[in-house]
Amino acid sequence: MAQLQARFFTENHKYVVDDVPFSIPAASEIADLSNIINKLLQAKHEDHKYVEFDFLVKGQFLRMSLVKHMEAENISTEEVVEIEYVEKYTAPQPEECMFHDDWISSIEATEEWILTGSYDQTSRIWSLEGKSIMTIAGHTEVVKDVTWVKKDSLSCLLLSASLDQTILLWEWNVERNKVKALHCCRGHAGSVDSIAVDCTRTKFCSGSWDKMLKIWSAVPTDEEDEIEEAANRPRKKQKIEQLGLTRTPIATLSGHTEAISSVLWSDAEEICSASWDHTIKIWDVETGGLKSTLTGNKVFNSISYSPLCRRLASGSTDRHIRLWDPRTKDGSLVLLSLTSHTGWVTSVKWSPTHEQQLISGSLDNVVKIWDTRSCKAPLYDLAAHEDKVLCVEWTEAGLLLSGGADNKLYSYRYSATTSDVGA
Amino acid sequence: MEWYQDYPHVGYDLDGKRIYKPIRTKDELDKFLEKMENPDYWRTVQDKLTGVDVRLTDEQVELVQRLQKGQFGDVHLNPYEPAVDFFSSQVMIHPVTNRPADKRSFIPSLLEKEKVSKLVHAIKMGWIKPRKPKEDTPTYYDLWAQEDPNSILGRHKMHVPAPKLRLPGHEESYNPPPEYLLSEEEKLAWEQQEAVERKLNFLPQQYRCLRAVPAYARFIHERFERCLDLYLCPRQRKMRVNVDPEDLIPKLPKPRDLQPFPTTQALVYRGHTGLVRCLSISPSGQWLVSGSDDGTVRFWEVSSARCMKTLPVEGVVKSVAWNPNPTVCLVAVAVEQSVLLVNPCLGDKLLYGATDQLIEAYELPEEERLQPVTWAVAAGAEHSRGVRLIIRHGKPVKQVTWHPRGDYLASVLADDSHTQVLIHQASKRWSQSPFRRSQGQVQCVLFHPLRPFFFVASQRYVRLYNLLKQELAKKLLTNCKWVSSMAVHPAGRWGPRQPGWARPLPSLGWGVGAPRPVSCRHHKKALRSVAFHKHYPLFASGSDDGSVIVCHGAVYNDLLQNPLIVPVKVLKGHAPARDLGVLDVLFHPTQPWLFSSGADATIRLFA
Repeated sequence: MAQLQARFFTENHKYVVDDVPFSIPAASEIADLSNIINKLLQAKHEDHKYVEFDFLVKGQFLRMSLVKHMEAENISTEEVVEIEYVEKYTAPQPEECMFHDDWISSIEATEEWILTGSYDQTSRIWSLEGKSIMTIAGHTEVVKDVTWVKKDSLSCLLLSASLDQTILLWEWNVERNKVKALHCCRGHAGSVDSIAVDCTRTKFCSGSWDKMLKIWSAVPTDEEDEIEEAANRPRKKQKIEQLGLTRTPIATLSGHTEAISSVLWSDAEEICSASWDHTIKIWDVETGGLKSTLTGNKVFNSISYSPLCRRLASGSTDRHIRLWDPRTKDGSLVLLSLTSHTGWVTSVKWSPTHEQQLISGSLDNVVKIWDTRSCKAPLYDLAAHEDKVLCVEWTEAGLLLSGGADNKLYSYRYSATTSDVGA
Repeated sequence: MEWYQDYPHVGYDLDGKRIYKPIRTKDELDKFLEKMENPDYWRTVQDKLTGVDVRLTDEQVELVQRLQKGQFGDVHLNPYEPAVDFFSSQVMIHPVTNRPADKRSFIPSLLEKEKVSKLVHAIKMGWIKPRKPKEDTPTYYDLWAQEDPNSILGRHKMHVPAPKLRLPGHEESYNPPPEYLLSEEEKLAWEQQEAVERKLNFLPQQYRCLRAVPAYARFIHERFERCLDLYLCPRQRKMRVNVDPEDLIPKLPKPRDLQPFPTTQALVYRGHTGLVRCLSISPSGQWLVSGSDDGTVRFWEVSSARCMKTLPVEGVVKSVAWNPNPTVCLVAVAVEQSVLLVNPCLGDKLLYGATDQLIEAYELPEEERLQPVTWAVAAGAEHSRGVRLIIRHGKPVKQVTWHPRGDYLASVLADDSHTQVLIHQASKRWSQSPFRRSQGQVQCVLFHPLRPFFFVASQRYVRLYNLLKQELAKKLLTNCKWVSSMAVHPAGRWGPRQPGWARPLPSLGWGVGAPRPVSCRHHKKALRSVAFHKHYPLFASGSDDGSVIVCHGAVYNDLLQNPLIVPVKVLKGHAPARDLGVLDVLFHPTQPWLFSSGADATIRLFA
């Protein structure tokens, strides 16, 4: 098998070549194919500049020599092979490294600032350039999750959840750079591991080790909610701990039989929660009922939802990232599993701009960028961390962030090729 | 023509006159002469119509011959012309007839329909019986199938051939090759041998020629012996049981079918500087506590391997035990000569606050009771570190363990006296020594998870005491030199498992009801610890060779059925140090995860 008949096509009009079959060496790899396309383009346009391409055969990225790939994918080598080519995604460029005092448990970033939660009981706000703007201390235990609620130019609202069973709602005055605790959300009887704000920015939900999912209001008020006093609780102690006004949950959703590790809003009125009891449950907020259950066979560490492709990605206590369709009725069907990590996957995040790309962090110290069209090999490995990766983030501006047990927050600039941004 | 047989004429002409037969004057002699002389005689026939002899032409003869052969008279007719199948099933593009198809050819026939419905009705009503299936009894049969084996024919079938005589060899030859001839010494030796011991029952001898061979002297004797052989030969067929030894081994399921069980190392908990002797986990499975030789007790978050708290104590931590009651947040730590009750202040705030209140709510009894130990309340720096109560024993403490309800705890002292096992009640701060007599050096003790039983393992025996009746319920012999650890199945059905320590020896299991031990020997070195999983049918054992073996152990409610034990995984990760490998193993309460602590100062989580 020396030669193969191949036809090249692309959806990018800039790089279209003639739709005729070519005879190419069977053992050719990406670089060879890329050269061929560039030659063809140069023949067509005089002013063509060299572009690196990536190739897809039947929707799967080519990662080895063409004939091996076709053998592996069981594609007949007798017929003309349809090869799609796209501009190669450029490697993420490392930007900043931000040093923390302790492990980083969570990251959430906006266009201007990065909010991190750390095991030293504080949350921090960083500028994109890696400058520490603000340190928010108030929790008496490890901060497990942080999130932005509202981002105005004058004041921002943000939330931090902690092992001390509370969630604090903070107001950050950007101009004066002052931070003030507005509300202290009490009600969980365990470490609050995950919080998520809905799209209207007026509600948020929290998942905790005590197996409960609670929904809270995220609107700051001046009133304090009444909390039933625990009879045996010393009064004076509570007064000392209090920071901000007490707030109680709007609703409590119970159904999980083990700790909840990750929550998110997949829709305006829909919450997904992943738990240690090997299930992902989808809840209807309006009725407070359980909509459906996806059952896995491992403890879930993290889930992420992409509204672009409407898939859930889950990282669990094994090496695989699994993609789920939350709309299936029967549940428990894994669409795809991405395998390349060697440790537990602690964190996954879909790209907010690209429907096929996601980022994952694992206990094997590596952050990987994935394309769902290549489920055996990731697009890029980011192996900067020296210890466990605990959280990853992908911002709309194309910034990749990862934090871990080596107290470092790495940021990368990742721009998918210009032609692909629109796609 | 026959009508005119007796007449001279053969008919009439147009005028009504008779036509006379030709005058046949030929007699037999003429006929003979003509036959002899006329060469055309054979082709001359008489025309019966006219009575004239006609000589047949060549063509006519040929025609006659063809007809005689059964062929067509016409030479040119070919009977085997290729047939053209005009009215075949094939639809031609140019049909023979252009007639449109009959309507009846595509409309179901009413007549037939009527007929069929009549038949169906008849079958339904039982007027017509459907065709009976043919009985296919063979027309022949096994003549000897019912044969009595004792009858003559049956005996023939069971015939056992008589043993055959050995064929003569070179020794029997009248002129054997010289190597078969015996030398003088051999002859002497042969003569001195007993007749039964002799290899040959004759002396090979050489003769010049066949003629010189004398009569065989032993002939009668040998024939007689042969007859004896035939007479005494066993004439019974021995039925040999044909069993494949592979079939006798019980079928073990494949490890893959027995998932989930821990397979790979997932997390390493680093922080200790000395060997980690003991592990315990909170009932919720969120926190792990470990005690080490470096004089610290560390509290870890299970999911992230984060050390949440470090509690320094003075001395080596021999044993830690988290209170199994989920409403109490208390850890018992055995250090040197005392047992510390530590509130780790982890988990639910209400819960550990309530635990503190419970301890503070203690009121001194009115009368002082004599106790084998002294209870002390921790204060100052120790209290702020989490230590709540200190139970001071006079002697080094080896092990502590909680009762499943979480109020009582038992401790084992390194001592030979009868007070080496003590039972404490934490809420009343009251201790007692349950035994009056020493039963040898106690290695470890354990409370039964459900019933009021108490296991006490000495070096060679495990005793099972009924706590309600205050009596010895059962005594189990372990068959090993040194019991180092024991664990009890959470359902309590299936008793303690003890590993031998002094030599690489078995861990054993007993059903409590019927004491039938099951031992597993897989480790190369001494076993250090064993553990059962709370929900999954798993147990694990850690050994000095640095490996942990996970076994699937299905226990059946039927005690007569043997428990199914399949070793499913060998987990390696701990580096042996100072001849010690894995010191403690522990299962997560809800997930199929295994913790192991080793002499290399790490704790590892296998998932």
